[in-house]
Amino acid sequence: MDVPETVRTALDDRSVEDTVCLEAGAGVGNTTAGLLEAGASRVYAVTNDPDHAETVRDRVVCGEGAPDDAIERVATAEADLRATPLPDNSVDVVTAHGLFNVVPPADLPAVAAELTRVAAPGAHLVVDDYDPLPEDATMRDLFAVENASAELADGGPALTFYPAETLSRLFTGYGWAFDRERTLLDSVPWTESHVAAHADAARESAASLPPDLAGPLTTEIDRLAAEIGSESAGRMYSLAFRRERAD
Amino acid sequence: MLVPVDCPRMETRPLGETGHDSTITTFGAIALNWLEQEGANQMVEAVLDAGVNHFDVAPTYGDAELKLGPKLRQHREEVFLGCKTGDRDYEGARHKLERSLNRLGIDTIDLYQVHGLETQDELDQITSDGGALDAFREARDEGLVEHLGLTSHGDPDLIIDAIDRIDDLETVMFPLNPVVMAKDDAEHDYEAVVERANEENMGTLVIKAFARGPWPDTDELPEEDRPYSNWYQPVDRPDEIRERFSFAASQDVTSVVNPGDPKLVSMVLDAAERFEGMDEAAQRSVIEGARHDESPVPQQLHH
Repeated sequence: MDVPETVRTALDDRSVEDTVCLEAGAGVGNTTAGLLEAGASRVYAVTNDPDHAETVRDRVVCGEGAPDDAIERVATAEADLRATPLPDNSVDVVTAHGLFNVVPPADLPAVAAELTRVAAPGAHLVVDDYDPLPEDATMRDLFAVENASAELADGGPALTFYPAETLSRLFTGYGWAFDRERTLLDSVPWTESHVAAHADAARESAASLPPDLAGPLTTEIDRLAAEIGSESAGRMYSLAFRRERAD
Repeated sequence: MLVPVDCPRMETRPLGETGHDSTITTFGAIALNWLEQEGANQMVEAVLDAGVNHFDVAPTYGDAELKLGPKLRQHREEVFLGCKTGDRDYEGARHKLERSLNRLGIDTIDLYQVHGLETQDELDQITSDGGALDAFREARDEGLVEHLGLTSHGDPDLIIDAIDRIDDLETVMFPLNPVVMAKDDAEHDYEAVVERANEENMGTLVIKAFARGPWPDTDELPEEDRPYSNWYQPVDRPDEIRERFSFAASQDVTSVVNPGDPKLVSMVLDAAERFEGMDEAAQRSVIEGARHDESPVPQQLHH
């Protein structure tokens, strides 16, 4: 399968060959594919979404263009990232590609602690995410309605865009040594397909609310999705860290 | 303090080892086919005013050769002219070359190219005794053409094979755009062609830089209702044209050919005149945008 340039760029200065890797928040498996391409001996694709676990299997392991030995090299796990089934000190490369924007602030410490727990001494950590969108971006309004709907429906935001420095300081606080920052996308292309996906997610949250709330929220979601179409805005960054060795 | 004004000139790059520095955009003269003679003359003048010094034409582009002729003859010294033939044997290639010289009304073609190489059989044929390359080389000895090139939107492996087998090939023309670059399979690996051509110090000419994708099904949009004459659907907004031009010209290539429809040419000239390079984060942004537009995978929230 095609490995996105964002993933390839985030990994190309890490030593992945013959390592055990964890893709935390596997999504559709883009980073798992990138880690396989870069020669990982084992990739644990961990996600709390059962659909995603299945998608990773269908695309990355069994899909067209998958390496013949992918089935031996990839294991998917449906698990909460605050408590993964992996042992302590067992992973050489941890990736969180587009993960933290779906981790609400209240869960940040537990997820960071868990990624640190499973990392072996000397391990790499790659954290790729989005800076907060500029104020004049219309996409920001769509995220605001998506978050408003999610807060009302589930009691937490759907998305939180952490500045690079926030996540950098978080992980250095957990004992990781900051290595480098790269810009993956500048600006970020929010295509029609992304806009549609976020509008759908927002509508789904809104649909679970009482009609007097659901109605106006859905109207606003529809209006924004139509107005935006597609928009390029914001920046996607890649942070890399090393786990200090216990000498 | 007064600052002297420097008139910007369109950037040029060495066309391999031909000794010619080509502008970063090449005028694809197929655009003239859809214009009357007066309009064709005006378009050539506009292209030259923008500083473009490399033109490309073919006998299969309707009457583009005939319409290019008058202004080409008037400005012959300012134009490095590429032409081509799809004939694969000596006789056919020789005949097409003479016909092109005649229709253009000139004595020499600067770059004569194998047009649209598609199959291994065709490569075998042009390189065999009595093949088209015999005619190309004979014409070069006679001074009718200066340099030899090849064009193809075929398999990248085939193009690389041609580069390996034809020692005196000096330029290669092939498709490159973010839609293609987002795909990792060998069938779309034209980046390998760029790499191989650069190893050989060849000139590299990019086509289909402005392709958005195939036209909708003819049931949905009949051929006669298509708004552009290109055989693919082109990007057509000025910002998109500029983005696609900057993307293509930021690859390690010599020059980018305009889309064939005359309505799009002035936007490409403008993009080429204003070209400042595109950094890698912006290039990835264009590739990601194209990947998601085309993507057969489930709708994604992220990049």
